[in-house]
Amino acid sequence: MKFNADKRIVFLDPDSDIHVTNDEKIDLVLSPSLYWVQRVKLPIKYVREVRKLLPSLFEDILPKGNYSYSVYKDEIEENTYFIFAYEDKLIIDLASSFGINSSNIASVRFSQSVLSELQTALKINETQSIYVKDGVVTLVPCCWIQESGEIDLQTLKLSKHTLTLAQFGHIVDNSSLYKIAGVMVAFSVLFLSEYFITQQKISTLQTQKNELFSKYKLKPTMFQNNALLKKYKDIHNNQTKLRDQLSKKLKEPKIRLITYKNNQLKVES
Amino acid sequence: MNRINPLYIGALLVMLLMLSLYLLSGAKQSLLEEKESFKQTQKIANELSGLKKTYANQKKSKRSIQRILAQPSLKLAEIKAEYKKSGLKLHSKSIDKRGLDFLMGKLLNASYDIRKLKIKRLGDEQASFELEIKW
Repeated sequence: MKFNADKRIVFLDPDSDIHVTNDEKIDLVLSPSLYWVQRVKLPIKYVREVRKLLPSLFEDILPKGNYSYSVYKDEIEENTYFIFAYEDKLIIDLASSFGINSSNIASVRFSQSVLSELQTALKINETQSIYVKDGVVTLVPCCWIQESGEIDLQTLKLSKHTLTLAQFGHIVDNSSLYKIAGVMVAFSVLFLSEYFITQQKISTLQTQKNELFSKYKLKPTMFQNNALLKKYKDIHNNQTKLRDQLSKKLKEPKIRLITYKNNQLKVES
Repeated sequence: MNRINPLYIGALLVMLLMLSLYLLSGAKQSLLEEKESFKQTQKIANELSGLKKTYANQKKSKRSIQRILAQPSLKLAEIKAEYKKSGLKLHSKSIDKRGLDFLMGKLLNASYDIRKLKIKRLGDEQASFELEIKW
């Protein structure tokens, strides 16, 4: 339990009349109309194990929707849990309709966790009151309860049981998000592994290239090597040409003089 | 609402994916270039090595020329050989037809870098002969 002096506590209900300023930080207390709650006794010791069962515990109760679930232990009775189902988008949209930006929401709690110790019924607006019945905070019309007092939100002791609203839960459910994220991470790992393998191949090729340079005693730059190759290719072409021309010219009769200079062959008869 | 916005995580993952893809495509491109460069180097090295062995092997050329000049058919021609660092000059004032045929056959069928050649008929059976080979 903690007191909250810096932030404003707001009881969020569709019938509430809420006015907030833009920079105000808000501790939201959700009206019972915004969630489904059950007090269940289960032969399970740990909350984390109960959390896995939540969708199935609400399976036949909830109308169609995209729900998130929450659970905490009932501190009074052993193996008893308060389990909740709520629609993130519904709560965020409602808060937003009162001008409460999700960035300004400091915390969110169920009224079950904040108001469970109520001794009397309390009016939360002109038409509704809340009171605790069998340990469960319940919303009822005002006319049902005669002696309703006004709720003083700022003196409320906030419980430790907060929940985090999934802003995008209605677009893609968590398991799909995890799968997409998993696939993306897997591809990233795959690509990065391939990157390192490729770098290794590049390094091997560079080593082999250096070995070629030393084995064949090549010049340090490819420009020099290309120039040298061109020089030898020219020699080879000239010599091939000389031999071809000579073999043809030597068939001529009565040759008097054969000269070859500057790659020019002259045969005089 | 202090949970990290999944959009940030999504954006981070997308960036990670894009970065890894970018790195990989860059590396693949480099690998292709390196392969091409290696092939090119290998080709040049082989060609250069072969041509050098053929035209710039001073020891081998010198030895084979000496062997040719030592042949009995060239004794009468009195061929003078001037060995230099960069090449060789051969000349004979008078070489007979048979000797000239033998010598030219040997020189032209081997791969010497012949830079100068002058063969002048002196008579029906005789000719003067000058030749310059470079290595």
